Amino acid sequence: MIQFQQVSKRYRGGFDALKNLSFEIPTGELVFLAGHSGAGKSTILKLVAGIERPTGGAVLVNGQNVGSMRRGSIPFVRRHIGLIFQDHKILFDRSVYDNVRLPLDIIGFESHEARRRVLAALDKVGLAGKEKLNPIALSGGEQQRLCIARAVVHRPAILLADEPTANLDRDYAHDILELFKSFHQVGVTLVISAHDETLMADYGRRILRLKNGQFTA
Amino acid sequence: MKNEFRQHWFAFRRTLAGMLRQPLTSLLNLLVIAIAAAFPLALWLVVTSLADVAGHLPVEPQITVFLRSSATPGEIQALRALEGSDTRIAKHRFVPKDEALKEMQQSSGFGDLLAGLPDNPLPDAIIFTAKENHAAGLEALQKELAAKPGVEEVQLDSAWARRLERLVALGRAVFQAVVALLATALVLITGNTIRMQILTRQEEIEVSKLIGATDAFIRRPFIHFAAAQGLLGGALASAIVWLALRWLNPAVRDLATAYGQQFELQSPGLQSLGVVCTATTLLCLVGAWLAVWRHLRRHL
Ligand SMILES: Nc1ncnc2c1ncn2[C@@H]1O[C@H](COP(=O)(O)OP(=O)(O)OP(=O)(O)O)[C@@H](O)[C@H]1O
Ligand SMILES: [Mg+2]
Repeated sequence: MIQFQQVSKRYRGGFDALKNLSFEIPTGELVFLAGHSGAGKSTILKLVAGIERPTGGAVLVNGQNVGSMRRGSIPFVRRHIGLIFQDHKILFDRSVYDNVRLPLDIIGFESHEARRRVLAALDKVGLAGKEKLNPIALSGGEQQRLCIARAVVHRPAILLADEPTANLDRDYAHDILELFKSFHQVGVTLVISAHDETLMADYGRRILRLKNGQFTA
Repeated sequence: MKNEFRQHWFAFRRTLAGMLRQPLTSLLNLLVIAIAAAFPLALWLVVTSLADVAGHLPVEPQITVFLRSSATPGEIQALRALEGSDTRIAKHRFVPKDEALKEMQQSSGFGDLLAGLPDNPLPDAIIFTAKENHAAGLEALQKELAAKPGVEEVQLDSAWARRLERLVALGRAVFQAVVALLATALVLITGNTIRMQILTRQEEIEVSKLIGATDAFIRRPFIHFAAAQGLLGGALASAIVWLALRWLNPAVRDLATAYGQQFELQSPGLQSLGVVCTATTLLCLVGAWLAVWRHLRRHL
């Protein structure tokens, strides 16, 4: 469960990205996060993962206050979360396989099991057979799938996807959203951000609408 | 526990792969570390070898008093009587000039030359053995003796042993300074190497942190790398010094023989190998630790 209690975020420099936000996402729900560019979507996701700290209020993930947590404990929170970054953060100095394997090495998976999981994740996102390629050789949509594989390979309970459908055509975007739906069906809590609300409408899920760091009706 | 081991194994493999990816850079780094460590090791070996020689020299200082040819028997008697009256003197031996000449003819190989001289050019001499062992006290005694009637010249025979002792003391001080300097240099060099490595892997570090890597996980490959470089660098330093001494020692031995001494520079043994490798490893670890710490502190 993800809970924001009167959360504010003021970035260094004095910009108020989030203003006194409160909401709750129960375990297993799939929620969309909508809003214009600069509305604060990425900021919300970063707060959940402890990448940024709130300047006011509490950010609770499974009852733990990530916002005020010791620096040393945050990695262990992140291991229960799958992150899909808006700017992808793919490492181009290694193969598709090694990119997806990174989270497992961090957690310390045994080599055989790690290999099995990486291949299963790549298969799941439709990149089977491309594991030896350098990510530079993947199309934009395939790179997005690589990010998804890396985010789910360690089977996190929460998946945070920051604009996973940006720059994709409508059909491809729907394929990606279908993929997320399949994770939702096995009980993963999902938060998916996008600025294009029309895509979300087809799914009949709750949509949190942001405008200048606040919710609109 | 098994997990911990596996993590180290991952890191070690990555370290090895990283070293092999840039073999020339790794080798140059290794050489820099080895040379930095070889210098104090060599100095230490020279100093301990010299200290060894200094330890074997006669500790009882001898003072040779050469008498004027005009010295009267009374003056000579007065000097010889110092053995009883002056508490700083343990014993004495009177060496008449004829005896001195005979000794010289036998020992120096100038026999023919000396035999050809019309008369004996050597003076009578008294050799005192002093109880005093301090340089200052001995020099005072030397001055007093030189001022006595009938005395031509006074020589402190142990002077060069003393000089050697001072040289060893100086060597030790220089050694300490060199160790301090090069230890600092080693920390800085490794710190810089690791800093460069961090820069080339900044993206990987950032992503790793974002998806749940601990500081320890980030640090591990750099620590491994530094430890490996320190260990290998220390071993290489010992090898360099060992080879250098093998090459130098015949010449040193010849030189010592020419002075009637048996002397050679000690080669680095297992113990000094252990000390050097431990020291370089620890210093490299400190450098790496500091570099990673600085990076992690600056970036979230
Ligand atoms: N590190 C930062 N330092 C200062 N200001 C920041 C920082 N990150 C974000 N902001 C500001 O906070 C506001 C919200 O940013 P955020 O990235 O959350 O927006 P977003 O909704 O994700 O926008 P987009 O759709 O363009 O990704 C923006 O106006 C941005 O300029
Ligand atoms: Mg964003």
